[in-house]
Parts: sequence; C-alpha cells; structure tokens
Amino acid sequence: MTTVYWMQSGGCGGDTYSLFSSEILDINDMFENLDIELLWHPSLSNISANEHLELTDSILSKKTPLDILILEGAIIRGPAGTGMFDTKDGHPKKDIFHALATNARYVVAVGTCAAFGGFGVDHAIEATGLQFCKRKRGGFLGKNFVSLSGSPVINLAGCPCHHDVISGTLMAIASGAVFELDEYQRPVEWYSTMVHQGCTRNEYHEYRIEESDFGEMGCLFFHMGCAGPLVPGPCNKLLWNNQSSKPRAGVPCFGCTDPEFPRTTPFFYTPNIEGIPIQLPRGVNRAHYMVYKSMAAEAAPDRLKKRSSKV
Amino acid sequence: MSNIIKRINIPLNRAEGDLEVHVDVTDGVITDAWSCGTMYRGFEDMMVGRGVLDGLVITPRICGICSLSHLTAAVGVLDVLTGISVPDNAIRLSNLALMAETIQSDIRQSILMYMSDFANHEVYSKHAMFEDAFRRYSPLKGSSAQDVIRESKKLIEIIAIIGGQWPHTSFMVPGGVTSIPEIHKILQCRLIIKNFKNWYEKRVLGCSIDRWNSITSVKKLLRWLDESQRQKESEVGFFLRFCMATGIDKIGKGVENFISFGNLLLPESTTVQPIESARSATSKDNSTKDKYALESDGLKYRKRFIPSGFARGVSVEPFNQAKISEDISHSWYEPSSFVEIQAQSTNTIQPSKPIGSLHPFKGTTKPYASGNSGEQYSWTKAPRYDGLPAETGPLAEMIIQGNPLFQDMVKSNGVNAMVRQLARIVRPVALLSIMEVWLDELMVNRKAPFYNSIKDIPDGDGAGMIEAARGALGHWVSIRNSKISHYQIITPTAWNGSPRDANKLRGPWEEALIGTPIKNLNSLIEAGHVVRSFDPCMVCSVH
Repeated sequence: MTTVYWMQSGGCGGDTYSLFSSEILDINDMFENLDIELLWHPSLSNISANEHLELTDSILSKKTPLDILILEGAIIRGPAGTGMFDTKDGHPKKDIFHALATNARYVVAVGTCAAFGGFGVDHAIEATGLQFCKRKRGGFLGKNFVSLSGSPVINLAGCPCHHDVISGTLMAIASGAVFELDEYQRPVEWYSTMVHQGCTRNEYHEYRIEESDFGEMGCLFFHMGCAGPLVPGPCNKLLWNNQSSKPRAGVPCFGCTDPEFPRTTPFFYTPNIEGIPIQLPRGVNRAHYMVYKSMAAEAAPDRLKKRSSKV
Repeated sequence: MSNIIKRINIPLNRAEGDLEVHVDVTDGVITDAWSCGTMYRGFEDMMVGRGVLDGLVITPRICGICSLSHLTAAVGVLDVLTGISVPDNAIRLSNLALMAETIQSDIRQSILMYMSDFANHEVYSKHAMFEDAFRRYSPLKGSSAQDVIRESKKLIEIIAIIGGQWPHTSFMVPGGVTSIPEIHKILQCRLIIKNFKNWYEKRVLGCSIDRWNSITSVKKLLRWLDESQRQKESEVGFFLRFCMATGIDKIGKGVENFISFGNLLLPESTTVQPIESARSATSKDNSTKDKYALESDGLKYRKRFIPSGFARGVSVEPFNQAKISEDISHSWYEPSSFVEIQAQSTNTIQPSKPIGSLHPFKGTTKPYASGNSGEQYSWTKAPRYDGLPAETGPLAEMIIQGNPLFQDMVKSNGVNAMVRQLARIVRPVALLSIMEVWLDELMVNRKAPFYNSIKDIPDGDGAGMIEAARGALGHWVSIRNSKISHYQIITPTAWNGSPRDANKLRGPWEEALIGTPIKNLNSLIEAGHVVRSFDPCMVCSVH
C-alpha cells in the first residue's frame, strides 16, 4: 500500500480538478487497483475535523507511514514572513506542511505555484515554491532538503499540471520507479520536450506563417505570445482531457510550466525587436535561426499561405 | 442553567479551500456563528498595471472549479469596453463550455462533496440508511462517487474541444472565440451530451427530464418519490429521503434574500427562449426597467437565458447593479478612500452607503498588515445589495426564475439546506436540453463568423457580471493608458460566506447556522450540512 496525503495552500484547486480528468489511468483505477490509499484530500475526505487531527498526529509520531506528501498551491509566507495570510486554527499552514514534509518518503509539488511560487511571489503574500522561488533554488524547504527516500521535491509544473503527469507520478512512485529530474526538478519524462512538440500548427511554424489576430490557422509564436517553443511540457504530446490543447484551439501557450510563470509582460503579445521575438526557441543560435526563418518563409507552400491546412 | 459553549472552531473541508466556522452552542443549538476565510491571495492587487487582456489569463486561475466563469466575466468587461457585437456562434460555443463547467461542478459538489457526509461512519453508522449511503458515497470508493468522476470527466471533453483544455483555458477573447471546431468535433459534443443526459436521467433523476419538469409542487414531489423504485433509489431520491430522515430539511434557513446576475447571453438568432423572471410574469413594464438598470451602468444589454433579479423571500424585484457594495468592517482590509479611485464614467453610481461600504468600482483590496485585530475575522469581504446580505446560487436562480417547484417548497416549508442543495442537483435539467439546441444551431450556421476582429481595447470602465456555478460573479475593471488600473471581483462565496457588516448583519450562511441543533459536539456535522448547501468556494472568496 502507498499512502498519500494531499494538502492545499495558496492555490486554486485546479490541479485536483485536472487529476479528475486523468486518462492513462482513471483515478478510480488508480486508487483501487494500484492500492494507493488517500489518507487525506481536502476536496474528497469525509472524516471529521477531530479524526483529521488524529491522522496528522499519527503521521507526525510515525505511527502512520506517509509515502507521498503532495502540496497543491504556493507556500504563503506573508505578511513579513509570518505566514498569517494562510492559517489553520490560528497557526500558519506553512508550519504544518513543514512538519509533514520531514516525515514523508516523497514530497511532490503539484502545479507551478507549489513548485516555483507562481502567483504572488512578488506580492504581499510572499508566495514561494517548495524548493524553488521562481528560478532560485531554495524555496520554502531549502536547497538541501531531501525527503526520507533521499529524493528532493519532485516538481510537477503546470497551471494546472497535466492530469496524466500527476497520475503517472503517483503510479510510478507506487511502483517503485525512479524518475530522472531536470535542473528545476521536473521529471524529464514529461518536461524534456517543448509544448510546441506535437502542436497541429507546427507546419505553419516551420514555414513561418505567423498570425497577428485570433481565429486563424497559422503559428502564434511570433506575434500572439505563444510560449510553446520556449517552455517544456506534454500538452501537445498527451493532449488535455483526451481531446486537445490550447494552441490547437487557437489559444497561445502561456508558458505555465516555466519557473517565472506568470510572466510580467502582457499575454497574447510577443515582445520583439523589429518583428523578431526577443526570446527564441530554447537553445537556438539567434543569427542562424533568423537566416533559417527568412528562408523558410520564402519556401512556404501556397497551401499554407492560403491557410488551407486545418489545425 | 444554560449550557453555553463559546466559539467552537469548525474547520470545513470539501469547501474548495480554507474555511473555518466559529459557533456558539447553547443547550445543543447553534446560537451564533462567524465565518472565517483563512487565506488571503491578493489577485486584485496583482492585476493592477498589467496588460489589458491579462484578466483573461490570470483571473480564471483564481478558481480551479469555475475557471470559465471568471473568463466569461473578464471577457464581458472587454466586450463592454469595445462595444463589439459578438457573433452568435461565439456566444453559442462560450455558453456550451460554461454550461458544461457548471454541470460538472453541480454534480461533483452534490455527490463528492455534499453527499459524502452521508457516508460519515462516526455520525451516521447507526442510521438505517447508512449502509446504502456508505456503498454509494464513500470517497473514491462509493459506486456513485466513481460514476460521477467517470461521467463528469467525459462531459468536460466538450470544453477541451471548444477551448483546448480544462481547467484554465482562455479561448474567449474580445470579439469572439479563438477557433472553430470541425464538424466531427461538434458532432462528438452532441454525442457526449446525449450520453451524459442518458446517465443523468437514469441515475441522478431516476426519470426523464420531462417527467421531472412536471413536478411543480411539494405534493407532486412527494408523489414522485413514491412513484417508482427507480426514482426512490436515484441520487435525487436518496438525497431527499436521507435529508427528510435526518432533519436536513429543517435546518439552514438563512437571510431569505436572493440575488442573481443572470447568465448565458442569447444569440440574436436562436430558438432558445429566455426563462422569464418571476417578476416579469406578474408585471408588464419590467423588461424595460431591467434594460435601463443594466445600460445605465455601462453594461450592454443583451437578453440572457437565466434572468437577473433580487428577491426578498419569493417576491422578486428589479435588479440594479448600482445597489451593490462591499463592506469591510469585519474583514482584514484597510478602508479605501473615495478620492483614491475615481472611476470617471461611473457618475450614475452613487451608493448611499457609509464609507467602508463601497461599490466595487470604488473599493480596493489592501490587506490589514497585522491580520488579527478587534472585530475583524475574515479575509472575505461582505458584499451587500441595497445594504442587505443576499444568498446566491442555484436556489436563488430558481426563486428569481419563479420555478414553481422551488417557489412552492420555499412557500410551504421555508428555505432549508435540503431545498438549497436540491436546486443544485437538478439545475442541469434546464441546461442539458438547450446545449443540444445550440449544438444543432452551430451545425446549421457553421459558415457564419466566430470572431470579429478587435485591434484595440479603449480606456474606460466596465463590468462583467454572470452567474457562476455558485452564483453571482462580477468583475469591475478600469483601463487607463492601455493598462489595468483597477480590478475588483465579487465572487458568489463572498455573498454567501460573508462576515458581518457595519450594521452587524450576519452573512447568509452565518445566519443559516443559527438555530441548528447539534447532536455531537465532536463532529458538528449539521453545521457542515448547512454551510455546504451553499457550495462554498473559498479560493474564490479570498481571491
């Protein structure tokens, strides 16, 4: 049996509702057939407040082993480091989380807020992620933190995190599999390919057929603020809700798996110099990329110029 | 001697975030209550200085269960500012996605969050219906709980087809929607709705939607309950029987004022007729009054499927958004000054409230630094209509629509937790049928536009007001120099879970708790039944 304790803090609950849409593993199957015991989930558990207290005490006194501790939402440290903007029974929730984290075999940050702080890092609530604050290593638990298994916090970035990533991670831990993590402690399994990969607009991107308004078929990278080529994630590889992805539906990727999400520049707009995006696809050489793109535009076939290829 | 226990703290989960309710219990009955939102998130403050379209990306992320509601309100603001006419097809798609979100919320809240209390072994293990309740509603294991997870997941695919993903998409933009679903995807949506409707009729209602719609009084409801085993054993049937057996039908009265902002803009050309409000059914000139109330405040008037209104008891009045204010006398916020925010085009709004209770075009959100002092006890503000607390949500919609069953239930037995929750479980009845109509209209009108191009959003002030799953939701926004200069949001749970105001009037669920008998001081489950009948969404209320 694998025990899971799910805690929510400065967040919206969106990762929980994302998980409900899991496809590779129906969440009913997950909890029943993989013998995962959900000790506590704020949106699901029906035990009384007293029983909940007993459960927490039992974990803290090591009577109940805790295999996976999940945090959804940022740790709120404000005002002035007190954590009083987010309390339970008059005590800062961050302290309760800290106590649980030191008793867990694995600690998983679900969603960008829990991983990197997300909304409110630069605001009054002094939000932070568990082991990162934006790109800076450390966060709430400190850069040297490892859980009882020896693993640092596993960061399942995304706003919300993709449902199959959450269920896949729980399944992997329950099965004893070990993940390789990237520099921001995201499993490379899902965070080594760009969101762009698998987008149905890729051919338009290839030939630099770029849109500057909504509702068209072309690529949204140059003008519409799409971060698909800039940030990693499985949105176009696994698809959402068994169906689609934002870019496929004409909504630019907002870069929600990035430690700096939400960015400070306006959404739906690509910061550029002379029409060329300031930020180019991850890892490219700027000069080479620009040559490639101008040649690509020249080479574009008519069927794409006419937007006859549906996305 | 009375046995008084002061200020018991009840932490309530299954409330989408953090809620603690403090109660005084005198001789086994709740005699006073305080509702405390225990988290501050600061979204309104975060919006100031951002790009004009950023509300479309950031505000949906206030809430993981009603993210499209925030998107709808945010885009409503921008459509008011541009004055653009949104194509019928965009309205149809937006409505379809929004309805799918509302239905998943209603059904998940009812089974996973409300009725899972019926499977609480500590409280109900000796009850005759417990074994059945446990088999149905145990978290993740109960048969109904698993059904709901499976069926609601399928329904949400509609939103992904239209908007790419759920939660947190931003496919509604000023002027329309970002893509046109292919023919086979529209047809797939129809199939998804058909399947969902079949399941909903068979398992949730236990009868056809037509049969349900023929229930127009308490008497007919009781007759329906006894009519067949299938109806008796349906989720609605079980819910009614459990509530009546445990007294949930006798607790949770509340303030008996109701508010609805109205919802679901009607396309200009559609066979769907708006639900007439109870008010217009009895008086003749009200449609023009309604129009005036909205237009005078800079809101473009469009007919909506679900009417707006305010009701005292079951008597419905014209709705005027200028009568809305937010009081912060008992919330951890610093008072704002009138001069600070001068919303120039809001001259028509002159709230006759004392300072400390401001219309959302004027109010601000500044957390009180110490977070703990004197009379203040919540991060939720106290919205008021005409100075009064008001309940919002499906029951409020039913009352304002003049739904005969719910009007009769309230007239006969008063407001209670059962009727409030019943309104939620059966709200999909009205929505599912028109979803099918709008999909058919989309097929016929597929060549018509889905988006009208907008190049610039002008400076100005606008409000986006809709009914989210949990009730009245509004965004009040000012744009200056092409940037957001003011963003105030009033969420449904701020109405329902508000703290006291300067006049010491309790918020709706604080008031609803008064008089609730408590059998077991360890569980206080009755308080949970009352508060959860409002479907709290704390993450929204403490945005």
